[in-house]
Amino acid sequence: MKKLVGVKMTKTSEQKLFLLVIILLLAAFLFSLTVGRYGLGWFNILEVIKLKITDQSIPDHLTSDDIVFWSVRLPRLLMALFVGSALAVSGTVFQGLFRNPLVSPDILGVSAGASFGAGMAILLVGNSAFAIQISAFGFGLVAVVLAYQLARHCRTDTITVLVLAGVIVSALFTAGLSFLKYVADPYEELPALVFWTMGGFSTIAWKDVAMTVPVVLIGILILYLLRWKLDIMALGDEEALSLGVKVNKMRLIYIAIATLIVASSVATCGTIGWVGLVVPHMARLIIGPGHNHLLPFAAILGAVFIILMDTLARTISGGEIPIGIITSFIGAPFLGYLLWKQGKD
Amino acid sequence: MEALNVEKLTFYYGTRCVLDEVSFSVSSGLICGLLGPNGSGKTTLLKCINGIYKPATGCVKVNNVPLDQSDRQEIARKMSVVPQQTNSVFAFKVADMVVMGRSPTFEIWQAPSPSDRVDAIKLLKDLGVGHLAERHFNEISGGERQLVLLARAIFQNTQIMLLDEPTSHLDLKNQVKIIELVKSVTVERGITTIMTLHDPNLALYNCDEVVLLKNGRIAGIGKTDQVLIDENLSNIYELNVNVEVTQRGKKVIIPECWQENNAYQERSLIHEKVQ
Repeated sequence: MKKLVGVKMTKTSEQKLFLLVIILLLAAFLFSLTVGRYGLGWFNILEVIKLKITDQSIPDHLTSDDIVFWSVRLPRLLMALFVGSALAVSGTVFQGLFRNPLVSPDILGVSAGASFGAGMAILLVGNSAFAIQISAFGFGLVAVVLAYQLARHCRTDTITVLVLAGVIVSALFTAGLSFLKYVADPYEELPALVFWTMGGFSTIAWKDVAMTVPVVLIGILILYLLRWKLDIMALGDEEALSLGVKVNKMRLIYIAIATLIVASSVATCGTIGWVGLVVPHMARLIIGPGHNHLLPFAAILGAVFIILMDTLARTISGGEIPIGIITSFIGAPFLGYLLWKQGKD
Repeated sequence: MEALNVEKLTFYYGTRCVLDEVSFSVSSGLICGLLGPNGSGKTTLLKCINGIYKPATGCVKVNNVPLDQSDRQEIARKMSVVPQQTNSVFAFKVADMVVMGRSPTFEIWQAPSPSDRVDAIKLLKDLGVGHLAERHFNEISGGERQLVLLARAIFQNTQIMLLDEPTSHLDLKNQVKIIELVKSVTVERGITTIMTLHDPNLALYNCDEVVLLKNGRIAGIGKTDQVLIDENLSNIYELNVNVEVTQRGKKVIIPECWQENNAYQERSLIHEKVQ
């Protein structure tokens, strides 16, 4: 991968990389459809799709396949795809915007804030998906604004300070969530809260997909349209101003939308750590730092990453391992590697 | 007609007055040098002209239109800036840095097309640094970086160009390269160029007009020959400074204390005394 950084990128090599990652996504998606505790054969998948399209009744021997495919695996994979993209795109945007390769939705406190917000909604309003999303978004936004303002106030080594500010804000909201668990009704609310905070895609149904995917899709599309200005924002405020970028307005838009897509993911799938840090880095190493290509590339790579991690989580053992554990096992050493590499440079 | 008018600009950092009723104007096709000691307000003035800092009073007019009526994008279509240095965290390619000069003409959702990039590479070739186009900005030398930032400002194609100490950190060859390029762009395109400078000799040979700043106030203004005189220079730098004429009839600005003995002679004397 390191070699690729020095390679003279021509247009065709970028196109090749996109083609490669799209093929990878398709392969990961199709592969993941078939594997799991209940394996699905290709022939059976095609058959249940055909029966569904032609609106015919399901023969007995395909009933299980039909349920697993339409009600369990397809919504789950679609959700994983979009959540992976959302986390990767959000991480890419935050890293460019704050000119800081060490930040991510987790490190800035967005994920913790959104988790707290979602927990609050579960406690106060009950299991209303809409309320959970709104509350997650609100507190996610509060968290990132708090971290950013705290770091800006310090005016010293902003890269480290922003990371520290994020740690502080995250700690506050994580404590808040623990407090919510402490005061929750142990028979009704607590199980719902704990179940949801574990994260993952095991309970995803079509209603969750309908709630989250449109928000994430629209958010990613807007960020995709605004991607090039991120290059200029990454040069710093004064330079961006002199190049005609309305810095404050743009920053607000980027933060709001990047937070919205993370909050929307967190509200349905809980916190899935490290993706927003690791995937943008990998994407940058492969395709370069220009957001013109980086943002869409990270979106696709994020989807591939989460789909593979989720498949791993539900196949490597008899039970299902929470996906957050797997992403942490990969993400934490990766951050260690980045620090080690930075120290060497 | 003056292309740029600065009218009674006053600016405060907190309660400290950094610029005090600064007024001057520059015509098209001319280079105006801003000179003054450290902390005299040169960079602040440049940022006020560009609208990055909002002055407490006064205004800046481009072709008699006050800038405070324009938004950031409109200002950037009229005025480009060459910063002293840029600290890009991400390793953008040189061609991609130059393309950013087109940003003010783009819609908010617009990204540059391949033809914009081709134009940027052509400009780099015209400036004699086409070989840098695909290299990473963070990996090239200080002189090359300054050249790339200047190329970006040229690519921005504005009527006014502001440069903040464009030659600081550069060796003599690169200083000459940058300044000659600024001069030719200013004349060929008939633009107005304002640059802050530390070295009065650079201003003496390359600026048409000079504004001297001291403690946020104007301490001298006008044609370079008329302003860069012993009295004015000694006043702003609080040091005896002379404009000497060499045997070949060239003017050189030099502090008085350096004229009597050069450093080598002084050290030789000390060395003799010790022995």
